[in-house]
Amino acid sequence: MGGRDSALQNQKHSILMVSDFFYPNFGGVENHIYYLSQCLLNLGHKVVVVTHAYGKRSGVRYMTGGLKVYYIPWRPFFNQNTFPTLYGILPIIRTILIRERINIVHGHQTFSTLCHNALMHARIMGYKVVFTDHSLTGFADSGSIHMNKVLQFTLADVSQAICVSHTSKENTVLRSDLAPEKVFVIPNAVDTAMFKPALERPSRTEIIIVVISRLVYRKGADLLVEVIPEVCRLHPNVRFIVGGDGSKRVRLEEMREKHSLQDRVDLLGAVPHAQVRSVLISGHIFLNSSLTEAFCMAILEAASCGLLTVSTRVGGVPEVLPDDMIVLAEPDPSDMVKAISKAITMLPKIDPQVMHNRMRELYSWHDVAKRTEIVYDRALKCSDQNLLERLSRYLSCGAWAGKIFCLVMIFSFMLWHLLELWEPADDIEEAPDLILSRNCVELERCCRKLNNPENQKNSSDTI
Amino acid sequence: MVGSNSSPPRPKWRKVAYGGMQPGYDDNHTDETFLEGMVMNASVVKRDMLKVMLDSVSISEYLCIVALVVLVWTYTLSSALDENSLLLIDISLLVSGFLILLFTQDMLSLSLLLHYALNISFFIIGLYVLAPIYQTLTRSISSDSIWAVTVSLLVLHLFLHDYSESTVKAPGVLKNPALTSCISVNASVVASVFIASRLPSRLHVFAIMLFSLQVFLFAPLVTYCIKKYSFWLHLCFSISLMALTLSFVFVLHRLLFVLLLSLLVFVNLVCPYWLIRIQEYKFEINGPWDEAKLCFDITD
Repeated sequence: MGGRDSALQNQKHSILMVSDFFYPNFGGVENHIYYLSQCLLNLGHKVVVVTHAYGKRSGVRYMTGGLKVYYIPWRPFFNQNTFPTLYGILPIIRTILIRERINIVHGHQTFSTLCHNALMHARIMGYKVVFTDHSLTGFADSGSIHMNKVLQFTLADVSQAICVSHTSKENTVLRSDLAPEKVFVIPNAVDTAMFKPALERPSRTEIIIVVISRLVYRKGADLLVEVIPEVCRLHPNVRFIVGGDGSKRVRLEEMREKHSLQDRVDLLGAVPHAQVRSVLISGHIFLNSSLTEAFCMAILEAASCGLLTVSTRVGGVPEVLPDDMIVLAEPDPSDMVKAISKAITMLPKIDPQVMHNRMRELYSWHDVAKRTEIVYDRALKCSDQNLLERLSRYLSCGAWAGKIFCLVMIFSFMLWHLLELWEPADDIEEAPDLILSRNCVELERCCRKLNNPENQKNSSDTI
Repeated sequence: MVGSNSSPPRPKWRKVAYGGMQPGYDDNHTDETFLEGMVMNASVVKRDMLKVMLDSVSISEYLCIVALVVLVWTYTLSSALDENSLLLIDISLLVSGFLILLFTQDMLSLSLLLHYALNISFFIIGLYVLAPIYQTLTRSISSDSIWAVTVSLLVLHLFLHDYSESTVKAPGVLKNPALTSCISVNASVVASVFIASRLPSRLHVFAIMLFSLQVFLFAPLVTYCIKKYSFWLHLCFSISLMALTLSFVFVLHRLLFVLLLSLLVFVNLVCPYWLIRIQEYKFEINGPWDEAKLCFDITD
């Protein structure tokens, strides 16, 4: 790399992650934000997360590594989403942006209203904005048509966008009319240290197939209902462990009764994220039956635990693992049964430890953070534009929608200036950065190298 | 990037998410494989103008049926039709409808016939018992309001009516009717009750209610059976019905005639042409990102 790049690398950003979905909930988006933030902190950037209040968890909290989280006191009203008030969160977002001296705002997930609102205000205030799309949406039903218009509005003026798989990128480009060059593909990763295979290999006398997913239509619970009895009939030495809860659990229980498979199909109910590994390592094969999936982190976790994966060929799943680590099937019961039979014949060649080591090379959150850093650098290099130039971009979003979008933005602009008068930016106190003990340890190491006793004393004071 | 200038051929870009950043390619790399899985307008059917026009005939047929009912209402309210002739119309409609059902349906059995007869007699007795209540139902409301409400209910009825099949099903059909078509049937029943409540005698009320309900509940079933039996019969029946209605309306009122005629032209000529024209704006996108459809039925 040239000198210019190294200069850029020295430049540390202040990043604000915005999404409705964050800890204490668990899921793909939540994990992504958490691990990405941790690794960005490790790279020396400053990261602040904004999400809505979860129950009594409201206000400012600190997480591992000094990750500052603002739980803004807005209650979720539907599917963990805050009510889309358009302008309601402008004051608090503005205050946070100024207090934390943010220079990049990074929103996550299409379905998060908080993210859309925050990105809109950040754009009008002239911040550089990055958006990550974690899911796929169709084009046919009225719900997704509406969602796609909202996404088009948010992405009309976004600096850069990130998708988690190539399929997701194609989908996002089609939905939002964004230039493909502006969309980066940076997949999720897996914390391989957390998902290690069992110390001793599970016995081969009995083959255990693990399913961990919410038992809902979109995750293909109906496919499981068809596949499990057939596999049990063909392979008498197979057992199933199904973790997860949802509306389709009753159907699975009915299936178990109907085919009298009580001793061969375990329904565990909801599995806390901390126990996912212990469920995974008791099995040989991981079965994913999703009907739609942008990336599928569960497959990574299973592969990292050394399980051979059988999955439906939907969305971004075919891109996730090399062909010899996954068996793909069409979302059709007979094809899935064939795939499972193939996986069972492949099993003797699979060594969990080898699989785990390969996963460590294929995926790491540090790699994800480094690639995201490049996107941030690109976003910062984007030229600033005045309001009029930006409005023209919104205007091109559609005959009617374009004009409405423009009005929304103009109103946001006026509100922002009103706020500037009411509470000038200079009056907002800047938050001091947290100096972490880990940084101090590094500092101490540096000091020791310099062999300066006075410095050493200072650093030990701060601990 | 650095790798792009070096002499050995750089590795081919692959559409995979694993293995970190691919050497020599940025994360926003886009090549000709981008969107290659996209399929456009996969399930779009080419429509034929003549076919759409013929299909729209069933809509104008039903419009004419409703217009005929309204004609009978107005004649009864202006005392041009007395109760005896109304009852005669009722009976002839009932018998002809019955005959059409029997001839067009394949299964012609005594038990089905009995089943029909029993139901219809229950229906008629109930209606006769309730007639005095209907007669005095809206006495305190002015006729203008009743006409206004009736017209809006009929518009609602026509708007929500299930033109593709019949809301009242032949026995043995499993599929439940949609909510909108149920609302439509109810709107028409309420409209007939309102009109009946303006009539002078109990027999009048009974006769007009029987007539309206026969038409609103069973005419869709009868026309559906005719259409299923033979499309040409359906076409002849519809066209003669249209001619009949137009001539009656012409006698009643010129402006209404012009309105009805233009409505029929709109439904049968303008709308099909319009549909064909806007077909070219149809734009469907499918691709690997679509949610997979299950190939079997879920029996919940």
